[in-house]
Amino acid sequence: MHESVAPRTTLHLVGMIACLLAAPVLAQDSASSKPGPAPRMADGHPDLSGVWWGGADIGARGSRPPAARDPNAVTYASLYQPWAVEKAKTLSDKDDPTLRCVGTAFGTLNVRMWNVGAVGQIVATPKLVVLLSETFHDYQLIPTDGRPHRDDQPPTYRGDAVGRWDGDTFVVDVTNFTDDTWLSAEGRVSFHSDALRIVERYRRVDAETLEIEATVEDPKVLTGPWKVPKQTLRLAPFDALLTLDCASDEADAMIRSASQPK
Amino acid sequence: MKDRVWMLLAGATLALGASVASAHHSFAAVYNMQQPITVKGTIVEVRLTNPHSWFYLDVKNDAGQVERWAFEAGTPSGMIRNGYKSSVIKQGEEVTITGFQARDPSSHIGMLRELVMADGTKFGLFGPQEGPNAR
Repeated sequence: MHESVAPRTTLHLVGMIACLLAAPVLAQDSASSKPGPAPRMADGHPDLSGVWWGGADIGARGSRPPAARDPNAVTYASLYQPWAVEKAKTLSDKDDPTLRCVGTAFGTLNVRMWNVGAVGQIVATPKLVVLLSETFHDYQLIPTDGRPHRDDQPPTYRGDAVGRWDGDTFVVDVTNFTDDTWLSAEGRVSFHSDALRIVERYRRVDAETLEIEATVEDPKVLTGPWKVPKQTLRLAPFDALLTLDCASDEADAMIRSASQPK
Repeated sequence: MKDRVWMLLAGATLALGASVASAHHSFAAVYNMQQPITVKGTIVEVRLTNPHSWFYLDVKNDAGQVERWAFEAGTPSGMIRNGYKSSVIKQGEEVTITGFQARDPSSHIGMLRELVMADGTKFGLFGPQEGPNAR
């Protein structure tokens, strides 16, 4: 019996030593699987190109809890001026413009590139950055050659954007909005005025991570700027958004239903 | 009511309502999560549109008249990346849909919770319920 146990013990010891020796190797493998550095464009600035999401589609396994739902976060509507607080009381889900396929001025999950959704795409060149959203099929052109905002552009749902580089951070200034969208969707009352201005700061931390910070100002509606919680996006495992239409065929029925007493 | 069966459920429906809170509009605002509904009918069209997909079907009521119903499902991009294809559920397919009735009872719309095809294949709010990415 002893003769048979001894070799087994020896095997266990050998196995343990092998595991200990292997541990640094595994750690090295783990370290080497870290995302590489952010790629750069021909002009040396970080290349923001890619499809960016929170790690999963809405409703999918692993989808992140939206930062917008953090109960401790300061919300846009909490900064309403007194008259806006009163106006907000008259609005509800039934008034949400997105029910009729009108996108938001900002984004449901506090990511403007996503608009009403949870995925967006950036196509970047040294002179122009393009933001694409999947759900509402919209785009935004962001010139980066130092030109000012256009003076021939009528106000739009998504505004007029210009961009510049502050070191490795891409800064986007968006103005010239209409006042007939909400900042967000899902029935969260978040109207704004045509004085809305959004400043965003994009930073590609590494090959797979994009951080976005934003400040929202609306001196006609808010008591002060709203600093949006920082959003951390992941590079999606696919390289192109789907092309999908928005339809509002059932909008009237949905609005009637949303108007019913709860 | 042989083709429509109304049921009363409780806690589970509230849990579902919470789980879809990050959708593009508030389902709970439009649909009564206390009013489950089961509808059996024939698929007329599946529209993979934003912000949400819609399943249209014809349902016979108690008087034998055909009513057109529309059930709202998840965002199409999520369904498609979850493995759903337009060719899966075709016009004429017999299906049973369970979901929640609109707050306006005169509207023949509902929120889809589960769709079961004649062969027993099931789909959820965000498409296939089987496979590597199924929800």
